[in-house]
Amino acid sequence: MGQSRQVGQQSPLLSEQLLLAIAEELKLPLLQIARRAELSQLENTTDGLKEMQTTADMAIRLLDSYLFGARLALEEEYRLQMEPVSVSSVLYDTGQQLDSLAKLYGVDLQLNIGGRFGPVMANRQGLQSALVSLGYSLIEALPNLGDKRVRLELAAHRCRYGIVAGLYSEKEQLTVEALRQGRRLSGHARQPLVTLTHGSGAGVFVADAILQAMDAELKPSRHHNLYGLGAILQPNLQTSLI
Amino acid sequence: MEILLVEPDVLLARTYARALEQAGHAVNVAGTAQTAIHAADDTTPDLVVLEMQLVSHSGIEFLYEFRSYDDWRKVPVLALSQVPPGEFMGTWELLQSELGVQKYLYKPRTTLAKLLKTVDEFATIKP
Repeated sequence: MGQSRQVGQQSPLLSEQLLLAIAEELKLPLLQIARRAELSQLENTTDGLKEMQTTADMAIRLLDSYLFGARLALEEEYRLQMEPVSVSSVLYDTGQQLDSLAKLYGVDLQLNIGGRFGPVMANRQGLQSALVSLGYSLIEALPNLGDKRVRLELAAHRCRYGIVAGLYSEKEQLTVEALRQGRRLSGHARQPLVTLTHGSGAGVFVADAILQAMDAELKPSRHHNLYGLGAILQPNLQTSLI
Repeated sequence: MEILLVEPDVLLARTYARALEQAGHAVNVAGTAQTAIHAADDTTPDLVVLEMQLVSHSGIEFLYEFRSYDDWRKVPVLALSQVPPGEFMGTWELLQSELGVQKYLYKPRTTLAKLLKTVDEFATIKP
């Protein structure tokens, strides 16, 4: 039976804090485009066009993810429509959407969909929006956490709570406590995830809020020897015997 | 001038560095407070262009560390930050007199032309 929202209880997707974080976060790509355009003018070249296009595309995706979640939260039925979803195909599509941005930031984005998982119960568009938002924040943040060449892996594995799909790298991104504290500080502090990013970390919080709307959870987790953030998803039991 | 650019965003750092280099400056880029200290050690800068909002350690923490070394006590610092200057009103005295921030530019409203002009002003007062 689906949970219904209690009177006065607001979805985190509609919180003023998340809106503030998004507004703050979107200043960065606009600034990147403005300054890159100015540099191209100074140099009298057009070689920054590709960079500006990628930056703008990713900003639109982040905004789309937020709007997707916000629209759903505004509807009377709080829960997203759940369906059996292939984790591998969502990770593949997420990788496609993040590829250009990763290249721009010098992040080596890899796809690891070797494991055999049955479908999970999720909303496909919601899960993908959450992973793209999360990836946006991580790609922008990772170059400051470690070596110049950073690897980020889109991967899934089983855990005792279900199947975890997320993004993993060699450097630890957030501890459980840092994420918990970040959730409390989001919209109240300039840098709620101070150990991860110099920005507002809006991509992480948009992902968090969309996953909550799917009754899933965003958690710091390990994938083999890598650290990362993953969404804990429930297997679709109806198809588990097939 | 030898400029140490402390900028956490890779794309912005690349753009600022290129503009400064084309204006004839040598630029050393650091993304964090820690790497900035190492970079300053490699090439003593004539000017530090500093984002105050960094990952883990803030620009203020960087400045306390940076100013603790005799060699770097008089290196001028230009803050180029995404934090609106109004938020530092209460601590401007500390930033200016104790930590040696000589000018504060609000990044979203600072064009490359304005940045280059300001850096040139520092070049003219270089001892």
